[in-house]
Amino acid sequence: MTDTTAGRVATSSRTDYEAIAEAAARQRRRKKLWSKIGFWFLIVVIAIFLLFPFYWAINSSLKTEAQLRMTPATFIPRDPVTNDISITFQNYQAAFQNDTFIRAIWNSTIVAVSVTVIALVIGAFAGFALGKLRFRGKTPSLYLILSMTMFPQVAVLTGLYAVILNIGIPAIPSMILSYMLFTLPFTVWVLTSFFQQLPLDLLQSAQVDGATPFQSFRLILLPLTMPALVTTGLLAFIAAVNEYLFALTFTTIEPDARTIPVSIALFTGQVSRQEPFGEIMAAAVLVTVPLIVLVLIFQKRIIGGLTAGAVKG
Amino acid sequence: MTAATSEAKAGRSKQSELAKGEQRLAYWLLVPTLVVLLAIAFYPLGSVFYSSFTNDTFASAAETDFVGFQNYSDLLSITFVELDPELDDSGQPVVDPETGEAEFQSPVEALPRDPRVYREVFTFGLFGNQYTMGATDADFILAIFDTLIFTVATITLEAVIGLGIALVLNVPFRGRGAMRAAMLVPWAILTAVSSRIWEWMFHDTRAGFFNVVFQNLGLSDGQTPFLSDESFQLPAAIIIDVWKTTPFMALLLLAGLALIPDELYEAADVDGASKWAQFRSVTLPLLKPTLAVALVFRTLDALRVFDLFQIIFAQSKYSMASFAYYELIDSQRLGYSSAASVIIFILITLFAFVYIRGLGITSD
Repeated sequence: MTDTTAGRVATSSRTDYEAIAEAAARQRRRKKLWSKIGFWFLIVVIAIFLLFPFYWAINSSLKTEAQLRMTPATFIPRDPVTNDISITFQNYQAAFQNDTFIRAIWNSTIVAVSVTVIALVIGAFAGFALGKLRFRGKTPSLYLILSMTMFPQVAVLTGLYAVILNIGIPAIPSMILSYMLFTLPFTVWVLTSFFQQLPLDLLQSAQVDGATPFQSFRLILLPLTMPALVTTGLLAFIAAVNEYLFALTFTTIEPDARTIPVSIALFTGQVSRQEPFGEIMAAAVLVTVPLIVLVLIFQKRIIGGLTAGAVKG
Repeated sequence: MTAATSEAKAGRSKQSELAKGEQRLAYWLLVPTLVVLLAIAFYPLGSVFYSSFTNDTFASAAETDFVGFQNYSDLLSITFVELDPELDDSGQPVVDPETGEAEFQSPVEALPRDPRVYREVFTFGLFGNQYTMGATDADFILAIFDTLIFTVATITLEAVIGLGIALVLNVPFRGRGAMRAAMLVPWAILTAVSSRIWEWMFHDTRAGFFNVVFQNLGLSDGQTPFLSDESFQLPAAIIIDVWKTTPFMALLLLAGLALIPDELYEAADVDGASKWAQFRSVTLPLLKPTLAVALVFRTLDALRVFDLFQIIFAQSKYSMASFAYYELIDSQRLGYSSAASVIIFILITLFAFVYIRGLGITSD
């Protein structure tokens, strides 16, 4: 009898252990599942956080004036009466026919391309000198450039504006020149660090072969730094397209020279008296899509350039 | 003189010739950059300093005079006054019948008006008394306060949320590339464009996204004027800026996280350190340099915020920079605006110094 009791106890305790182990495994699995669900939930939340405003702009750009005035606002363009999905492209048509906006795209292109080219050319000169040549006053120059990357534009606004008004420089060249304030120090800084990383022996062997320093710069270093130039150029381009303070100030008396940010900020419709948000959103989408495409094509380089510019600081 | 030494001498002089040539080339290569910076940074900065001591205005025939520190004093003079309690005819303090709180005289009565008029910046209660802060230029003082609050709030939120996003995205998973790409979207949208998009989302009727959400959550009647109501203005601006720049912060931090060697975590795992302990003693210290640099750049950006404030608030709420802009363009007061610019410049420079000292960043 005692035997059987002992045996029963043993069996029951064995099943207990099994049950406990099984429960623990189940719990672990459930925990894993929950942490997986939690993780993907976070991913979805982050994705919505990042993309929703742009989605809202697209959504609004596809609505008519009547649809935009619907309350509550719909998350996809719907017909006010039947509630069916109905989209319109009239805002895009209007944006394309808006001369001010088209001119702004043109102005921005001229300004940003010129800024990029000039900043890269002079920036590459300075970056080469700072990164590869020995000369007295190098450390102060580096400090100067670094501190200039943090220079607040608003500090020179009145001074620049007064000069421009006094000499009578048109708005577009004024913007091109003044945008050097934030593109050039950054370009020089990033290019200096790129030049520093380039192996010196290439340069020395070129010198042994009788190349002048300028030749070795043009024939050896420049081709090698092409990737760096593309990255910095792209960042300078985007910064130049984005600039608003100088553009707004300098085009006050010359509305024809307005760039994209200024024209979007001051957007007025051709017909409606109210702020034409449908058309503004269409214009917003139109200028954003090419930029996003550009950024996505070069995404690896941009991230590399941003981190080089910042992490090096 | 032996042949060897003369040879060595010749070699040395040739070397110094080379070094001289190198130095000369370096100076020539630096000239364009320095000339450009001289023309667009140093010269205008000097002229801004100069005109900040004058009463210069545009489009005015009046003679420009030196006014010394007048502009600075007008911009920065503040005063604190205690408000007297309102007394009734019998000399007893008047109490608001609804709230039961004592009533005080209006700040306008209490603030000095001679020799200069002080306007109310804000009023606050302390130990049952009421005080008012007045300023000769209430707009500018408020702009400084608002810009500082905006800066502290955005930087804190961006660092915390950015770190969170970076930690989540640092885990390998399917679709990580797409998420990284999505992170570049807010960064790639022009600030002016994103300001207009958010302005529309914050529209003051239920045609705006946030009013729909607020009404559905039962928080409002769906008519909240987010961008013109004083109590919503700064939070709205902070949300917009956080959205725009957090991804940038997260990308920088993600790059910083990638630099931390896996072995450190493996070793910590072997030692039985919890995830939280690993985060505190491995991730955070090693991420500190990246975080520090990102914070410096973001702080300096936030202190000079212009686009966002000018576009969504125009003149209903100023940042320091938009104040300087409106003084220049709308009021045409070159001298006064210059003084405001100089104050912004000094403030930003101070921040940069304190930050760089405090965080121990070196340039090389």
